[in-house]
Amino acid sequence: MTANPLRGATDAARIQEFVSELEGFATKAEETLKAIESDLEGNRHLFSVFSESMFTIRGTAVQLGFPNIADIASLGEELAIKGRSATQRAHIRRCVAALWDAQTTVKYLIIHHDEETGEEQQILMNRLQSMLNAFGGARPKVDQDEIEALLKGRG
Amino acid sequence: MGRMLLTDLNVLVVDDVNSMRVNIRDLLKAAGFSTVRVAGGVDEAKKLLEVETIHLVLSDLHMEPLNGLDFLGYVRGHPLYKGVPFLMVTAENTKEHVLGAIVAGVDDYIMKPFTAVQLQNKVYGVLQRKKVIGT
Repeated sequence: MTANPLRGATDAARIQEFVSELEGFATKAEETLKAIESDLEGNRHLFSVFSESMFTIRGTAVQLGFPNIADIASLGEELAIKGRSATQRAHIRRCVAALWDAQTTVKYLIIHHDEETGEEQQILMNRLQSMLNAFGGARPKVDQDEIEALLKGRG
Repeated sequence: MGRMLLTDLNVLVVDDVNSMRVNIRDLLKAAGFSTVRVAGGVDEAKKLLEVETIHLVLSDLHMEPLNGLDFLGYVRGHPLYKGVPFLMVTAENTKEHVLGAIVAGVDDYIMKPFTAVQLQNKVYGVLQRKKVIGT
């Protein structure tokens, strides 16, 4: 894992700023989820807003050295993408239920960012991963080496 | 343009997350760039381009209402800025998005998480390929 640029710093205010900022994104995700739940089919497009919030949390957390937050946010992001394209109401409902778990845990971990990932979080991650797999798995990803190859292939 | 020193370069960091802007700015300063401008969105970045000579752009991909690809398209389509080296800095690693950035003309693409050394290597590489700095 990348060295944590924040934890190496002595500036506690910087860490608090980071936590506050991520809490804001988590709150936005929570409000979005409530709106989806109020009209599962009519507000299905809001899954995109939720996935964007999770993406932002993931990107910031992974760079600043909070992998436990990033891992669950990543699962939330991918499950929200599945929710957006789900055609059956039962699937949408399952996604919403799973996203509540992801959202609640992400928010908890942001607030308690110094805690290690506990057994409960690991169980949740396994459950979310199983569900994501059942829905066809995450979108195809590339790593930095593949990106280099794609850039070189451009000529 | 003649070859320049790192301390002469004006770098623009565009990210809608303040923590990321601060992190990238600090890493760039540690790498020897003395002037690093930051913008919280594309509109702010465009305004900075208008008033300052920018030698390198590091932009996030996912931003609202305009995103990094919108900004890249603006830069590449502008007669004054089209040659400015442009590095996409993002956690987005879906093939679709990466290819989109490459097709749109990004000079390089760095995925989070990255270390100071990885960022430095990417930035130096882009600046050398674009002949902004010497090898």
